[in-house]
Amino acid sequence: MKLIIKRKNVGFTLILPTLIIMALFTVFPLFEGIRISFTDKHLLKEIINFVGLKNYKGLLSDEVFWISLYHSLILTTAVVVFQLVFGLILALALKQELPGIKFFRSIVMASWVIPVVATVVMFQFMAQPDYGYINIFFRLIGLKKLNTYWFGNKHIALPFIILLHLWRNIPFYAVAFLAAMQAIPKSYYEAAEIDGAGPWKIFFNITLPGIRSMVIVMVTIHVLWTFNNFDFVFLATGGGPVNATDILPVYVYRQCWRSYTMGYGASIGTIMLIILMMYFMVYIRIYEKSER
Amino acid sequence: MLTKKTRNIIRISSTYLIVVIAFIFFISPMLWIIYSSVRGTEAIFSGKLTTPLKNFTLESYKTILMVTDFPQYFVNSFRIALLVTILTLFFSIFGAYGLSRFRVRGKNVYIMGIFSTQMFPVILIIIPIYNIIFGLGLLDKTVGVVLGQIILALPFSLWMLKGYFDNLPVDIEDSARIDGCNLFQTIYKILLPISAPGILVVAFFSFVVSWGDYLIVSIIAQSQRTATLPLVLQRLGSALTMRWDQVAAATVLTIVPTIILFSFVQKWLVEGLTAGAVKA
Repeated sequence: MKLIIKRKNVGFTLILPTLIIMALFTVFPLFEGIRISFTDKHLLKEIINFVGLKNYKGLLSDEVFWISLYHSLILTTAVVVFQLVFGLILALALKQELPGIKFFRSIVMASWVIPVVATVVMFQFMAQPDYGYINIFFRLIGLKKLNTYWFGNKHIALPFIILLHLWRNIPFYAVAFLAAMQAIPKSYYEAAEIDGAGPWKIFFNITLPGIRSMVIVMVTIHVLWTFNNFDFVFLATGGGPVNATDILPVYVYRQCWRSYTMGYGASIGTIMLIILMMYFMVYIRIYEKSER
Repeated sequence: MLTKKTRNIIRISSTYLIVVIAFIFFISPMLWIIYSSVRGTEAIFSGKLTTPLKNFTLESYKTILMVTDFPQYFVNSFRIALLVTILTLFFSIFGAYGLSRFRVRGKNVYIMGIFSTQMFPVILIIIPIYNIIFGLGLLDKTVGVVLGQIILALPFSLWMLKGYFDNLPVDIEDSARIDGCNLFQTIYKILLPISAPGILVVAFFSFVVSWGDYLIVSIIAQSQRTATLPLVLQRLGSALTMRWDQVAAATVLTIVPTIILFSFVQKWLVEGLTAGAVKA
């Protein structure tokens, strides 16, 4: 009995430093952020007043907020769906034991490890009219009339930012799915082949169920990461041209660190939190079902 | 009904088709930026694909490294990323070990709590964090930036490492304990060596998170003392007089350290990153 109690304390002592850091720099700031959303806090003003729901009422008639919310939802959905589909396709290709594939496997995640700002600068460079890589490419295949600055067009800018997300993350999906696929026992496939099952049937009845938990984890984490992602849009377009790529995190940033209206910014951040919490509850439901 | 042979041909050709498209899409942009960094401004603005070999020049790198204060920011980035990595490792190794091997009251609450911090909008919590760092007098100090960045790397690192530890056999640790090793000896002599791949991946992850962070640095760093490469690269990339050869060189120099580290951990990267998701 004594031993168990002692070991209990050891475990707690080991996680205590992490808990303290998280409490001070994540949990406390979260509640403090929510509290600030009910005030008129301004970065350059000393006096802070409690204003109740004024910020939230302001959001209702704030057009930029609604546009940003719309873009955030579209962006997150599109990014995660495309990543999932193309990640699966790429994983299936990487799974083949053919010459050269092993080498490609080892380099494909490079896009995931480089800083986002480097990705953005690279694509800004490639998106330049006339001498950018993309426009040179289109010229070579005879589509010269597409020559444009790809971040500058208000209809293309958002899809182009989605493309940047895909560029960064699809390889991560693919390699993660590949690892999960390789963990599926070979005998399943052999048995299916003996039964005469075709490739589609094998994919939907063996491969997909086999990597189910990996799919759930990857999708969940990327919904959170994509919805909260700030750097891609901020660095590539800053929300422009004319709000065409504005998303919630970038709007919060502008409110807090450009207009210094932190109270208002915090209220948008709190709305983001509420949306993600609703999503997270759904996730836990699904997760618990799959555990059973 | 397709014969086995035609099916195989379809399989091979579609595989290579996907790989070639993937190579053009994912890898060629990186090759293009390296190429652009050595072909000179004129060649870049010519809009042509090729440059005569004799025109290749390292001028852009010379300018970036000798004329600008880029090296200063490189050192800042490196110092901050190294500190973030060491501290994240310290917290996550002990934390993950505690959660993986010991009975702790309310353990699942902690695990779920740490995982759920991934849904907290960083953009919201950065507002109070700015106030805390400001209150501690750590604005524009290395420690301030490091503290801010740790919260980006720590929760996921802990989650990964706990998963990794869960999948390791406990027998060796048990026998070490019976042989009289205390807790720290067990961690140092047994756990660290057998979990080295997982720990390397966590170290790599936290280094890359810090190296690539723009948000935290842009708010806490305010001068040359603590500004890191992402800030500089962004400034270079949006300058009015465009020197794309120099921008390309600066981009390559920013990318290179992460690629070098990546080549070391590549073999274990996915296993480590997804350890939290896979239960053996």
